Amino acid sequence: MLLQQLANGIAMGSVYALVSLGLTMVYGILRILHVAHAGVYTLGAYIGLFSFRLVGDFWVSLLIGMAGSAVAGYLIERFLYSPLLHLPRIAPLIVSIGLFIALEEAFRIVAGPHTLTYNARIGIGDLSIGSFRLTETQILILFVTFAALIFLWAFLTKTRTGLAMRACAQDAETASSFGVNVKAIIAVNFLFGSAMAGAAGVLIGVYDNQVWPTMGAIPAYKALAIVVLGGLGNIPGTVLAAIGVGLAETFFIGILAIPFPRDAVAFIAMILVLMFKPYGLLGKA
Amino acid sequence: MRRLRLVGIVFGFSAFLLFFIAGLGQAQDTIKIGFFAPITGPAAADGMSAKHAVELGLKEVNDAGGIKGKKVELITYDDRLNPQEAVAIANKLLERDKVVGVVSGSYSGPTRVTAPIFQKAGMPMVAGYAVHPDVTWDPTQKKPNDFIFRNGYLGEVEGAAAAEFAVKNLKAKKISIISMDNDFGRAISAGFAARAEKLGSAILTKQMYKFPGEKDFRPFLTRIKEGNPDLIFAAGYYNEGASIVRQAKELGITAQILGEEGFDSPKFLEIAGPAAEGVIIATNLDRDDPRPVVQNFLSNYRKAYNEDADMVGASSYDAFMILVNAIAKVGTDPKAIQKALLETKDYNGLTGMISRFIQGEVVKPVQIQVVKGGKFRRLAVIDNPEVITPPTKQ
Repeated sequence: MLLQQLANGIAMGSVYALVSLGLTMVYGILRILHVAHAGVYTLGAYIGLFSFRLVGDFWVSLLIGMAGSAVAGYLIERFLYSPLLHLPRIAPLIVSIGLFIALEEAFRIVAGPHTLTYNARIGIGDLSIGSFRLTETQILILFVTFAALIFLWAFLTKTRTGLAMRACAQDAETASSFGVNVKAIIAVNFLFGSAMAGAAGVLIGVYDNQVWPTMGAIPAYKALAIVVLGGLGNIPGTVLAAIGVGLAETFFIGILAIPFPRDAVAFIAMILVLMFKPYGLLGKA
Repeated sequence: MRRLRLVGIVFGFSAFLLFFIAGLGQAQDTIKIGFFAPITGPAAADGMSAKHAVELGLKEVNDAGGIKGKKVELITYDDRLNPQEAVAIANKLLERDKVVGVVSGSYSGPTRVTAPIFQKAGMPMVAGYAVHPDVTWDPTQKKPNDFIFRNGYLGEVEGAAAAEFAVKNLKAKKISIISMDNDFGRAISAGFAARAEKLGSAILTKQMYKFPGEKDFRPFLTRIKEGNPDLIFAAGYYNEGASIVRQAKELGITAQILGEEGFDSPKFLEIAGPAAEGVIIATNLDRDDPRPVVQNFLSNYRKAYNEDADMVGASSYDAFMILVNAIAKVGTDPKAIQKALLETKDYNGLTGMISRFIQGEVVKPVQIQVVKGGKFRRLAVIDNPEVITPPTKQ
């Protein structure tokens, strides 16, 4: 049972990681809390679902969902955040919250208030050893998350653009004086982060077989807690925090059987970390 | 010029007057019945079912000549599953629309806040499927809301009936319970547990999940699997129910899953897919009931809306028809309607033969249905009076 719960928890944590990464990357470079990121996540699920219904192939729908989210993320940066960057950070935050609410309503109007099903067969098959089962969708989630993390790591450490991205996160002005095109780097940042959120939306859509207009509501605030937990802007810290929250939720429910709502776990952890390690799990002062 | 203007005013005024008189005339010609349901929002699928079914009932009544020659007019409102909205609707129905009776096609939240308003105004209301005890009961005065009647079961009654079936028919000895943490989930799982334990079965685990919001039931189900129960009693609405049966199947759980009326929706079958096969539910509609009232409703509903009717629709239809039936007997005086409802005896309802109302609570058999070939089919009917008689409140 422990093994099974471990699989359940890591799968959930992986999805949290995919959603939170974009958020932490945006914060790292722009110092904006990008609440509408959860709207991009839902958008990814809907685009993936509708392209799945058109094309009938899961992998294609995953890629289209990611691409659609990436474009949406880029447009949000270009037309909403970019013109507001000279204002105090509260201005883009308000815009972001407003946009998130508008997106939820838009999904409801376009796709209807009902839960839609994302009934895709991936074609990997379940893995079962004794009473332990790693379901097809769990394998899928682990695989996609792992691939995304490897890609991100390689990109950030092995390429010049990645280096520029890290430089911008540390100090955008200095990076700019060294000839880094900060605007382009910000755009790349949003494209990547949003594509990952889109992937998370598609994965959850398939994992739960449900896509609905307000599916971003809980990730919207849980991802914020995870990002703070990981140390704002800290990528390895965010991944660690996300997996940790996924596991903690699963263990509280499934092993300790403590009847408190799972969504509280991330916030309790956040409060504890802020009390004892105010810069996050891996953050530096 | 001046004269022209005067003529204009006179014309305008008479047009207004005519319109007003026509309006009055119409008001006298029809019998107005109020109706509210969550037509948009998180429970939109149920709200639409209720609306569709009641409109079908309305059409039947009016096609048959209305009530004593008068057409019935349905005043419909969308409460969006929002109690504040429902309060405003109740006041509108009373003050502006001047209805003679009200049908609730909504959940407990909106229905229970309107109950004291209608009770105070002496306006009879029949609730289709709202389950909260305080719909028919005033907890502050500790007396029944005697203008409010309920066509659905109390959570405790339905839970007890499910347990009766689980233990007596399925011979389940070891049972795990997973339930949503709201009024309905708590009431139905408490009723289930009490009856199952009384009949000698053991409750291995009893877990509550957050409602609304929970989608990942794997941690709960993995824990249930560890205890290897004969049966899992699961309480939730169609989204939760579908996720539970689907994820249980994925985890390789073979125990029989027994759900309740919240599962009784085409959406459940759609989301759960093949995993729904063999799932048993306790509910308020028997699709295989041979009585014409049932079979006509099912086929007319399919013809009108091109989808299968569900429990919510059937219960709302019944609520509407119970009210219409009372008006047909005694006329449009709310007090007389209430008296007629109180005296209901052996009413041939779509969702079962209603023997009577006790403190506003319906007394009728509970239906046990099973999913077979992607449809709900009859499996059993629980009519043990010890189980289906609602407890007297004091």
